[in-house]
Amino acid sequence: MEIYRLSAKEIARGVRSGKFSAVEALSAHIARIKECDGTVNAVVTLAEEEAYRRARDIDAMIARNEDPGPLAGVPFLVKDNFCTNGIRTTCCSKMLIDWVPCYDATPVRNMRDAGAVLMGKTNMDEFAMGSTTESSVFGPTLNPRDIGRVPGGSSGGSAAAVAAGYCPIALGSDTGGSIRQPSAFCGVQGMKPSYGQVSRYGIVAYVSSLDQVGPITRNIDDMAAAMDALAKADENDSTCDAYARPSFSRAAAAEGMRGKKIAVLSGFDRSSVDVPLIEAMDRAAGVCRDLGAEIVTADLPITMKHGVACYYMIALGDASSKLACYDGMRYGFHADGKTLSEMYKKSRNLGFGDEVRRRILIGTCVLTRGYYDNYYVPATKVRRMIADEYAALFAEADALICPISPALPYRRGLVEEDPVRIYLGDAFSSTANLAGLPSISLNMGFTPEGLPANIQLMGPRYGDAGLLSIASAIERQVGSPDIADPSAKGGRKQ
Amino acid sequence: MKRNTVIGLEIHLQLKTRTKLFCRCSTDYIGATPNTNVCPICLAVPGTLPLLNERAVELAIRMGLGLHCSINDNTRFHRKHYFYADLPKAYQITQYEHAIAVGGYLDINTGGAAKRIRIHHLHLEEDAGKLVHPTSDGRLTGAAYSLVDYNRGGMPLSEIVSEPDISSPAEAVAYIAQVRQLARYLDVSDGEMESGSLRADLNISLSNPDGSLGTRVEIKNVNSLKSAERALEYEISRQNRVLDEGGTLLQETRLWDDASGVTRSMRSKEGVRDYRYYLEMDLAPIAAKPDYVEKIRLGLPEMPWEKRERFAKAYGLSQEESAQLTEQREIADYFEACVAAKAPPSKASNWIRTEVQRMLNERGIGIGDFCVSAQQLGRLIAKIEDKEISNTQAKDALTVMANRGTGLDEALKICGISCGRLTKEELEAAVRKVLAEEPAAAEAVRSGQDKKGSKFKFLMGLVMKETRGSADPAEVAGLLGSLLNG
Repeated sequence: MEIYRLSAKEIARGVRSGKFSAVEALSAHIARIKECDGTVNAVVTLAEEEAYRRARDIDAMIARNEDPGPLAGVPFLVKDNFCTNGIRTTCCSKMLIDWVPCYDATPVRNMRDAGAVLMGKTNMDEFAMGSTTESSVFGPTLNPRDIGRVPGGSSGGSAAAVAAGYCPIALGSDTGGSIRQPSAFCGVQGMKPSYGQVSRYGIVAYVSSLDQVGPITRNIDDMAAAMDALAKADENDSTCDAYARPSFSRAAAAEGMRGKKIAVLSGFDRSSVDVPLIEAMDRAAGVCRDLGAEIVTADLPITMKHGVACYYMIALGDASSKLACYDGMRYGFHADGKTLSEMYKKSRNLGFGDEVRRRILIGTCVLTRGYYDNYYVPATKVRRMIADEYAALFAEADALICPISPALPYRRGLVEEDPVRIYLGDAFSSTANLAGLPSISLNMGFTPEGLPANIQLMGPRYGDAGLLSIASAIERQVGSPDIADPSAKGGRKQ
Repeated sequence: MKRNTVIGLEIHLQLKTRTKLFCRCSTDYIGATPNTNVCPICLAVPGTLPLLNERAVELAIRMGLGLHCSINDNTRFHRKHYFYADLPKAYQITQYEHAIAVGGYLDINTGGAAKRIRIHHLHLEEDAGKLVHPTSDGRLTGAAYSLVDYNRGGMPLSEIVSEPDISSPAEAVAYIAQVRQLARYLDVSDGEMESGSLRADLNISLSNPDGSLGTRVEIKNVNSLKSAERALEYEISRQNRVLDEGGTLLQETRLWDDASGVTRSMRSKEGVRDYRYYLEMDLAPIAAKPDYVEKIRLGLPEMPWEKRERFAKAYGLSQEESAQLTEQREIADYFEACVAAKAPPSKASNWIRTEVQRMLNERGIGIGDFCVSAQQLGRLIAKIEDKEISNTQAKDALTVMANRGTGLDEALKICGISCGRLTKEELEAAVRKVLAEEPAAAEAVRSGQDKKGSKFKFLMGLVMKETRGSADPAEVAGLLGSLLNG
């Protein structure tokens, strides 16, 4: 038995029952990381020592007959924009290359409280700005399903890690698709919960009103277990709702389809989406129908027409504000200058990469007097209209099936050739963030070439449990993805 | 040419909370080691989020109600962006479009004339850190480096913006003093200009001949009521001079230099800075539901102007007297406790405004630290009223009580004052003793040589001294007269 192939629930069961120890589970996963990551480059910081200390603690608790929690001994990784006490948190930027936080992000603490063991930090696009994980200061992550392709982004390291069997659960952050699109590219399951479901405290912010933390796993059961650990009220985040969460695990285990009304997105140019992804949507609709759901079609004219433009106005405006604190004075990269202003300019120019600077510049422009009224204010109005359009849809339907990315995993280097195409790749994913809706990137199998085909499942605000239940029902029919073998597949090391 | 002065004030009040506006750091920063009252949140460490201090909201609502404002539910915060070393996030969280309290007024009184100053709004915001420049004059110019102390960063402020209804330096001073008194009455702020818990920015312009508003100049760095008055007077004459000479004024911010008594240009607002204000999404709207506001309203104490009116009416005091007594709520409370201890109001008023106030001034303390309780002072005054002791004896006793911290009875004993009036026999004995000891003076009076009455007064004084001031002067004069003539 190879422990790294087990699901999170199987590992927790094994550790709790004494079948194997938390230390054994950890060393199996660390060995897997060491075996593959020379190629994949998904992990930027491996905190082995802390992880073993924690695993030994779990084993000691088991020995004392104490309960370490439902995720006892489950190794996990987090994106490098989650603050981790004593472990460097770089956002994969030169700006924070040496920065070591003095506190843990709430989602990290919540996972630990559930008994999980943090192994380290995963690669990402610099400051979560990108869709390919190529803009990291640590170099690009390769897609373990095909190393000639990108893993998606910005949580590309977390998605690649789960696909390659480094861990059964990795955490990512999703501002416009950054959990779901890499999950699709790497052929795993990823979830962006409703805005306000999971605390953002300790996540290095990209966009305050869009960022949400979520799990990446290889099956929906593990995703629900992670959600049970993650989704909790937090007195440190006033945008994190105080309501009593349902049991997501119970929702995922429930029979989830009979009597449900599932909408399938129409009214968009089907030819603009890669064929296997359209087929995956149709297949998902068929599975739902077979399970007793009513299938309807849904148009979202405003959302589909204005979503991406609206998203970039809102996102970049806020990014320019949240990234203003990096002035090189208190932490992070510092460059000397003759005046305060010169120090700021040099530190920010040299500390941030091209894409980050591009987005800060656009965002600053969007908030500048004159442009603010013409760009930002209309975007906030369109945002409200998009939320209304979704609310009307979910007043009728329980879930929406639509593409997550219009394309199969990109070949490496596309971002340099065609950056606008990459921006437009957020068309289907980013509107869930604008409306604050829960959304799951669900694997529907693989193309004959071995490329994953995921769909997007969206639900009403705070309908996370119901959405997990529907995703779980589909997964039971189509199966969950297996672990990728980066050394065998794709074959083209670069 | 006569130009009217138009003044509007922005007053920043530091709210009396235990912790900062958006984190759990202590607000007790005066004298604290630099950068000790700080945490990841107020240092803008990546990943942190602001948390609104509910007490600050409550205090802002209290102050807003005191200023007769309406309180808005669901107001938001905005971010005001600028890069500077005193601002770790590179934006200040402040209320911009919608303030928590709007549309109030405050009545002021200058030289007996009442005037209503309208309040545009009161909003909540956080303070910035403090820069220290290691030059001899504390200015940035010439400093090789600057130090920054974030202890003050994130302190809760409420900014009170008046309408431009103030038309003289004296009115401006009266307005600031009234805001300060209200803040102290409501226990919302210490309101100390010297330590910076009350800061006033003065906006002043001179109206044009056609009555339209002139160029507005903002004056900062005003650290006392006196300097506010001087700064405005200086600025009025400076602006008049510039205009008289045919010059034009710049819309700018000027710093008041108290030592030289002038304002100096700080930065021009010609190219107005763009703060890129926009909504703070890390914070939820501020809940100020009507029932919550009502609860706060019911908990408000008597307002200073209400107390002033009541004192004048209920205790028969002059406006001047009741204004003095109600200047500080603690003094007003002391007065009422004194009256409750049977002191006649007018006497209590005199004693507190003169003797007690003098003692407080000499000691540099507030009434809260004065060791003579209102009850003891009340009893002391009542004893004068009952003619048990004289005014002089009472002053002696009060001095002992204040110096030694003794109670009233102990103080009377120390002064050798036996309570109760002298008997006729005791007084007569004292007078005879004085006459026997001073035959020359007695003879001068008897023989009619004491034209100016100075010898008589001399003898009176000796009798009073002999009786330790316990005698009734009128009685002494009568007895002395009859014994000398008899």
